[in-house]
Amino acid sequence: MDSSDLPRRPELRNLIIRNRKRTILGFDPQQIIKYFFGANASTAVIVLVLIMIFLVREGVDFLPTNRHELQTYRQAGLEFCDLVDRPLREHQTLSSSLRQCVSAALEPIVKDARERRNAAFLLKTQAEEKAARQREALENALEREPPPAEDQLAALRKDLQTAAAAASQALIYPSLFTAEETALFKAQLAALSPELTDLPPFIQALSAEFMTQDRAAREKYADLVTAQEEFDEAPDDLHELVDELKEQALGAKQSVEESHALAVNRQQLLEAAETTADPDEKASLIKEAEASVGEEVDLTALTKELTARTGELQTQIAAYVESAEKAAASLPDDVGTPDAAALLQKAKKGLPAHVQDMREAATALESWRVDKPVSMLRVIGAFFFGTEWITNSSWQDFFGFVPLLTGSVVIALIAVFIATPISVIAAIYTNQFATDREKELIKPVIEFIQAIPSVVLGFIGISLVGDLIKEFSEVSWLQWIPGFPIQERLNMFNAGCLLAFMAVPTMFSLSEDALNNVPRGYIDASDALGATKLQTVFRVIVPAGISGILSAVLLGLGRVIGETMVVLLVAGNRIAIPDFSAGPGVVFQPAHTLTGIIAQELGEVSRGSSHWQALFMVGIVLFTISLLVNWCARAVARRFESQKA
Amino acid sequence: MKSKTDHANPFAGDSTGIQKRETAARWALRAGSYLVVLTTAAIMLHIFVKGAPVVFRSEWPFVNTQFLTELPSQLHVIEDKQGRRYETGVNGADAIKKELGENYRSEKTIAYSGGGILGPIVGTALLVIVSVSVALFLGVACAIYLSEYAKHGKFLELIRLAILNLAGVPSVVFGLFGLGAFVLTAPVFVDVPADRSVLAIPLGFTTLSFEGWDTCVLSGGFTLAFVILPVIITASEQCLQAVPQGFRETSMALGATRWQTIRYSVLPFATPGILTSSILGIARAAGETAPIMFTAALAFKDKLPWQKDLPPLPADASVFAQWEQSLQRFLGIFTESVQALPYHIYTLAAKIPQNEYSERAQYGSVFVFLVLVAALATVSIWMRIHLRKKYRW
Repeated sequence: MDSSDLPRRPELRNLIIRNRKRTILGFDPQQIIKYFFGANASTAVIVLVLIMIFLVREGVDFLPTNRHELQTYRQAGLEFCDLVDRPLREHQTLSSSLRQCVSAALEPIVKDARERRNAAFLLKTQAEEKAARQREALENALEREPPPAEDQLAALRKDLQTAAAAASQALIYPSLFTAEETALFKAQLAALSPELTDLPPFIQALSAEFMTQDRAAREKYADLVTAQEEFDEAPDDLHELVDELKEQALGAKQSVEESHALAVNRQQLLEAAETTADPDEKASLIKEAEASVGEEVDLTALTKELTARTGELQTQIAAYVESAEKAAASLPDDVGTPDAAALLQKAKKGLPAHVQDMREAATALESWRVDKPVSMLRVIGAFFFGTEWITNSSWQDFFGFVPLLTGSVVIALIAVFIATPISVIAAIYTNQFATDREKELIKPVIEFIQAIPSVVLGFIGISLVGDLIKEFSEVSWLQWIPGFPIQERLNMFNAGCLLAFMAVPTMFSLSEDALNNVPRGYIDASDALGATKLQTVFRVIVPAGISGILSAVLLGLGRVIGETMVVLLVAGNRIAIPDFSAGPGVVFQPAHTLTGIIAQELGEVSRGSSHWQALFMVGIVLFTISLLVNWCARAVARRFESQKA
Repeated sequence: MKSKTDHANPFAGDSTGIQKRETAARWALRAGSYLVVLTTAAIMLHIFVKGAPVVFRSEWPFVNTQFLTELPSQLHVIEDKQGRRYETGVNGADAIKKELGENYRSEKTIAYSGGGILGPIVGTALLVIVSVSVALFLGVACAIYLSEYAKHGKFLELIRLAILNLAGVPSVVFGLFGLGAFVLTAPVFVDVPADRSVLAIPLGFTTLSFEGWDTCVLSGGFTLAFVILPVIITASEQCLQAVPQGFRETSMALGATRWQTIRYSVLPFATPGILTSSILGIARAAGETAPIMFTAALAFKDKLPWQKDLPPLPADASVFAQWEQSLQRFLGIFTESVQALPYHIYTLAAKIPQNEYSERAQYGSVFVFLVLVAALATVSIWMRIHLRKKYRW
């Protein structure tokens, strides 16, 4: 540096900065820079507000739209039909459990014969599959016009015979068959050819054997079988009547909707006519609007037709109730196997409640009023407490979000239940016990989990975890676990496991921070008192950091509830409230979720329809939940913080 | 702890089993920690084992170039009467069928599983470029305000609360927001506003109409930008805070203004850290699926974003016309929907029937995707460790 330069520099600075204080439009540039950054900082606030505004803008119209729909549902008489139809649906469940009961009761008697018959059928299909190519060739040749030469056909026949013989040799015959039977069957399989239309005699014999056994079994449990058949047929007349009424109501609904659409169209045209300046266009628009008038639908007449048949319905219901009760009374007590007995118990328990429901439906028919208005409260209730989410239905769409909420909550609980202990343990270990080298392994790996895209984890759930769980559930010595063996590969437990994996990084790093923040003095004091490491960790450090750990768990929960791709791919997407009567095994059932339903259905609905609005309503609920969870996490952290102080 | 009459050596320990318990507990904790590590390793290994054979080849050039350089297409599998199978794209199917003639037996088509995954890779790259540019600009500016300008008060608290809450908003809600805000409402210059326009401001030569950008790279990129904004803000602020207070004081003491201080004494030291942590933002933006489902992503597209059909220019077109067309082509990249890797994986996994061919496409895409993301994450983590050593004041 040149010493002669030094004294001159301050002058230059003075010239620029102090003496000529520049302003831009009368503002200090420093101030402007500050406001620029301040404005950018407020983006977070603005975005949050914008999210709320856009969700509400698209979603809030759901309430009036859905109210109108529910009004139509009532006025067109669909609700009237549902009064009977809904409780009647229970009949199907009961009937199917009785049917299962019958087959379970027959099972021990017919089991052998059935298995033998099925095994034989299976073997036949396998044999046919193995010789399929030769068979096809022969079939083609036989159908060809003009028919090919006899020697060609013979060659093809020979090919097929060789193939069939080889196939019949290569098959594995189960021990259900005796040696002679196997040999007989083998020969028959080897002789299969396209010209033989009858089943091989061996299979025919087995079928006949099965039929005899079945008949004998049915005779033995004649009470049960007749009761089941009676119950099965009991509501036929009622069904017929209800279906007829339903058709009528649906027709009414369609005409109402048509006339409503025409009215809306007319309104729009008139509005357009109002705003347009061109007189010609105005005239044509008005003319079009005049044309857009549907015939006035006389709903009262239509619904009168429905209500006029109340008496008829009630008689039918009474008849149905009577025969159902008769069937219930004639159910025997002893049905052999415990499986059958359990099913029978289930049916016996369900029947009186069902009968009661039907009786109530009969009385409810009388008090039903077509002109009762649908209140806003009812619409809100139908959304927040509705147990059905039915869309694209030819009958009536319902948007009740309880099934989705239950799915989301159960999955989130499973995930938190698995992730919490693991991440807290990992945090304690890394923070207190791990050597530096271990820390350098564990921390980056867990951090890396955060970078794994959720769709990849969802894919892992479909391709790997699902099969693993399913195989695991079929292991014989694990059958004591409720819900095993599982039915569906994709279920809530599967999704919960993957979400737990996703939640580990969040919970781990926040818990570790919390443990890090425990004052050094606490630890020193504990050590000085002669506590062992374990005692210090579990009696001093963890209790001191519990607030942080709790809020970490809550934030993890927030992350899990909001996660979309994993649940969309893995949770099974069945829109129904899980059957909690299955006990803890409920976690192995499929479900749908709040996030999944938006991702799945939003792409397919038209803007402004009630379905679209309902999905945005779900979005509003999700947004609220996420804010609540965040608020809770902060509150927990602060509350314990103040207690400690 | 147990007995008072024990006269044995008090330092011998273990008589009460305390040490045993300590060791046992330590091992239990260790097992829990390593469970996470092992699970991660197992998942990675599974994808590697199933995905690497799709992407790599045993002979030169060792890489399945078709998979990395072609667009996804329908896969045709043709079987002849001897049971041999021929795999081909849409164009090759007829030729093979003709060649087989009599010998032709059956044909299967599997959607999206043929060709490669160039389209999704390019789409994801575009989305990431847009989102990270927007998020870095907003996020760093916000962090500078929080770290350098803000004073304790209501406004600061509000901003911090907003950032925290923004970080907790479910990604699918961001998708809804992007759909409502960018796809359906954002302002564009058009000659004739559409019917759905919320607000149209005539400007004489054109109209500023709030009718949305439609599903396109811009909509998706902006939506993703807000998804990763909290990450970028938090990381940038940490980097700014890590610059020692003394640097600022020195600069101020020399008479520099606050902006000069930030520009010359704070940002140069914070920039490497900010860029490093923004790499994690890139990984996050690349991996998100739900926000782009309704704002940018397409299940299938047979062209790359810049292969757009524009009317051919007349031979004597002026330089300006050529420029204009190039500009149009360039802007067209951002105003069209694209395929994206995560959405492609979702389509492959959930929307088509599963078989061996679709499985191959799935594992291949997942492998490539994961390698990209893992590379980003590793670079970020490694650079952070490196930087920590370099800037140790």
